[in-house]
Amino acid sequence: MKKRIVSTLVLVLSLLLCMGVSFADEEIKVGAGQPITGRFAFAGKHIHQGLMDSLDYANEQGGVGGKKFKYIYEDTGYDLMRAIASFKKIMAQDNPVMMYGESTGVGKAMAPEINSRYHVLYGSTSFSEELADREKNPYTFVSGPTYSQQFGVLLKYIAGQPKKNNKPHRVAFFYSDTEFGRDPIPFARKLAGELGIEVVAEEVTKVGAVDITSQLLDLKRNKPDYCIFQGYVVPPIPEVIRGAKDFGLDITFMGTFWAMSKMLLDKLGPDAEGYMGVCPYAYWYMDDVPMIKTIQAYNKKHYPDETYKPNSYMQGWFTGMVYVKLAQMCHEAGLPITGENLKDMLPKVNNWDTGGLNGVVSFSKSNATASGKVYKAQGGKFVAVSDWIKLDE
Amino acid sequence: MHIGDFKETYASDQAVFINATSRFWLGILFALLILFPFVAGDYLLFMANLAGITIIGAVGLNILTGFAGLISLGHAAFIGVGGYTAAILSTRFDLPFLLCLPLSGLMAAFFGIIVGGPSLRLKGLYLCIATLAAQLILEFIFVHWESMTGGIRGMNISPPDIFGYVLDNDFKFYFVTLIMVILCVTFARNLFRTRVGRAFIAIRDRDISAELMGINLLRYKTYAFALSSFLAGISGCLWVNFLKTITPEHFPLLESVRYLAMIIVGGMGSILGSILGAIFMTIVPEVISTILGFLVNIFPTAMSFLFPLQQVIFGLLIVIFLVFEPHGLAEIWRRIKNYFHLWPFEH
Repeated sequence: MKKRIVSTLVLVLSLLLCMGVSFADEEIKVGAGQPITGRFAFAGKHIHQGLMDSLDYANEQGGVGGKKFKYIYEDTGYDLMRAIASFKKIMAQDNPVMMYGESTGVGKAMAPEINSRYHVLYGSTSFSEELADREKNPYTFVSGPTYSQQFGVLLKYIAGQPKKNNKPHRVAFFYSDTEFGRDPIPFARKLAGELGIEVVAEEVTKVGAVDITSQLLDLKRNKPDYCIFQGYVVPPIPEVIRGAKDFGLDITFMGTFWAMSKMLLDKLGPDAEGYMGVCPYAYWYMDDVPMIKTIQAYNKKHYPDETYKPNSYMQGWFTGMVYVKLAQMCHEAGLPITGENLKDMLPKVNNWDTGGLNGVVSFSKSNATASGKVYKAQGGKFVAVSDWIKLDE
Repeated sequence: MHIGDFKETYASDQAVFINATSRFWLGILFALLILFPFVAGDYLLFMANLAGITIIGAVGLNILTGFAGLISLGHAAFIGVGGYTAAILSTRFDLPFLLCLPLSGLMAAFFGIIVGGPSLRLKGLYLCIATLAAQLILEFIFVHWESMTGGIRGMNISPPDIFGYVLDNDFKFYFVTLIMVILCVTFARNLFRTRVGRAFIAIRDRDISAELMGINLLRYKTYAFALSSFLAGISGCLWVNFLKTITPEHFPLLESVRYLAMIIVGGMGSILGSILGAIFMTIVPEVISTILGFLVNIFPTAMSFLFPLQQVIFGLLIVIFLVFEPHGLAEIWRRIKNYFHLWPFEH
């Protein structure tokens, strides 16, 4: 009798346990520490929305192998301590297989523990070179090209343009004295040399710089054909562009991802005309792009009042697509969806069609996409002036 | 039954642990602190480590500002000096953690003495501005001495080890933090039972009369800066070994202000105040954000309104505390303790 009770108990318990496990497996958990407040909030809240919507859209399409994504997030206020705390909190409470973080700093601080302990796929708002280094940080990826690769796209584009008076192109770099500003500069110097582009000036300012007279005078002295901004979101770009106009300089100004927003064009007003730059994603108003159509339809359904989503939203959405893609690849390979397996799938993403949102993407060479498109501002909107430029080809 | 404290000697007046009751509760506290990591998860351990490291920094600032009356707006930079020293020593010279710890403190103390120099001539707001300059100069050095500090990108270090035992997670690090907090707090508490500590208080209360009493102002003000920065350096060394990364962005002016806020909220001129202030400033924002996060789950549409609210609530809390108890959390704690002191036979 006693034996029977024990065996029944064991059976019931093991059944319950199995059910528990299968319950847990019904969901693919994605954790995120998002800078929804703080000084990065202008982009953070859109990235958060984009990532959340992208995963929700995947759920509407049936999820991956019948499993739905569950998005768990916290606000980090763009504060390193809070971000690390929320990372650990989410890992301890929900143990997700994928994480999203708010800045380069958090990625760097968490990298050793992600590699040695947490084994979780990690995406972030950052386009830093260090986080795309597969050797050092195999779990970490960049949702687009790194800043260096973005500079690469621009320099490659410039090299393909007709030369003035048959002389090499003259380029100036204009960057802020921050990690964000300095990140791609050494690479850009080197690449410019290889492409036969002359770097005639480098202007460095503080982030909130107001007085840019000396930099303008230096630009006037060195007469670059192109000037590429890095490490700014809005100021001092409008001041520089207007100042250059006042000096009568014929310079094409360019920016990388964060300086390619509608916010900047609105600030520039009529002076935006002809401003160029690289963006890894298509814009909201590009109706001919299939994925943009999908995004518009999704927004129309859920937020009928929304009229525009900025490029940071696209960044969030694209990150969500990467998460879904990797989960799908695990599912198709018959592997359980774990951080370890997701990491192993990343290098196998090859010629993946993102529906035009980010062209055809490969993570085969590094944990970044190494491609982007060059856009030009016309009538307050960005218009593509190149096809997807790939660096590793 | 405990009916009151009657001090019959100067020694008993100066005792740290006044009576058996306080020894008993302190014992309970230590026992709980040692048990804590075995029950707490990763997240709580992280917060505990952070709070511990902050406590050491806050105690340092309280020695300078609360006890010696010298206001400093450069405390975060001294913590930064400690952090950078530890990072440089461990990556370039492969020095062990246990050696880095005092060396970081000494390096920060050295900078503290230099910055403290003008304090003989400057007082109050003027000294405040002089230390502000120190903050800015040190920040500039962190950013621009690239060959040494790694510039804006900063440095990454590998987990520290003590005699081969690698402290690679929050659990192991907790014990290091705990021991250091106990050492530093004990040191600070006992400092004010010595001539040096009493000299600080005399200088704070009236520097001219302190000088008349035979206190050498230059020497003791320098001591105050050195001791305060030494603790800041220790805090910085723990900080960098705990987070394993360091960049100049981690020690901005705002962080110095935060430390000042900590000792004001906790209680100026009170060791317990520094501890309570540091815990308050580290833990309370997390508690608020957890509550708000919970609310956001219920009302997802209110997110854009709820999240920014946490700064407002936190600011209001500080103001309310200061209005109702200008002497800080330490005073609130003292009153609670007094209430229970002779409980239930108060009269």
